[in-house]
Amino acid sequence: MTEQTDATNAVVIDRTFNAPLALVWRMWTDADAFASWYGPTGASIPFAEFDVRVGGHRRLCMEVTTPDGPMRMWFGGEYREVEQPNRLVYSELTTDENGTASDDSHTTEVRVELSEVANGTRVVMTHAGIPSDSPGAMGWQMAFDKLAAVLSA
Amino acid sequence: MPTRTTDDDARLDETFGALASATRRAILAHLAQGAATVGELAEPLEFSLPTISKHLKVLERAGLVRRGRQAQYRPCELDPTPLREVAAWADRQRTTWEASFDRLEQRLASLQAKQEGDRR
Repeated sequence: MTEQTDATNAVVIDRTFNAPLALVWRMWTDADAFASWYGPTGASIPFAEFDVRVGGHRRLCMEVTTPDGPMRMWFGGEYREVEQPNRLVYSELTTDENGTASDDSHTTEVRVELSEVANGTRVVMTHAGIPSDSPGAMGWQMAFDKLAAVLSA
Repeated sequence: MPTRTTDDDARLDETFGALASATRRAILAHLAQGAATVGELAEPLEFSLPTISKHLKVLERAGLVRRGRQAQYRPCELDPTPLREVAAWADRQRTTWEASFDRLEQRLASLQAKQEGDRR
């Protein structure tokens, strides 16, 4: 078990890309550009629609190949913070193809922080799995720091 | 980023729900130090026994806490299994994001190579 996951239940990826800031921002905010790279290996994005402004919605369809044939999954969410070209925060949840949230869906939050560095653009992406609108989400990390000791025992 | 089966999601929801309370996280943090009775849990948190019992029921239902059999004391114990599932979920997210970032890197490289080519 890695430190990051048991301490915060969030995925944090910090990577520097050899590309200008404006281009990396576009890769996150332009639906077609985003669809060209997003998703696990072997998946494709046949549909993506982004309304990139605070409160604007995002919809995305991902197609993966299963032994039973192709399977489509739909995702929705909305933009919570848009500070071009440095900060983008959006929520994500599973929906049906009409955009209605699934019964068993929990909302996660993706935060993307972009900054210009000497050799390109640094991207720090945090995908937090706790329902971000839940009460007391803030105390999460503290409690887990203590629990981490038990988990690794 | 998705990875899903309904059973897993349902269990994760239950775990997230149980953890979405500062009081319940405080109870878990206390139990991480070792088993405790309801009274021992209530005291440092300054909550009434019924309040603590109510929270313990939620934690029990989520499988995060086990209660002992001794009728009088029924000490509570932490069960980290659901937390491991949460961690496994996070690991799956990581794997898929890493793959995406690899693709983003390739995409950026080819876009810029194309720009370079256009300029020449």
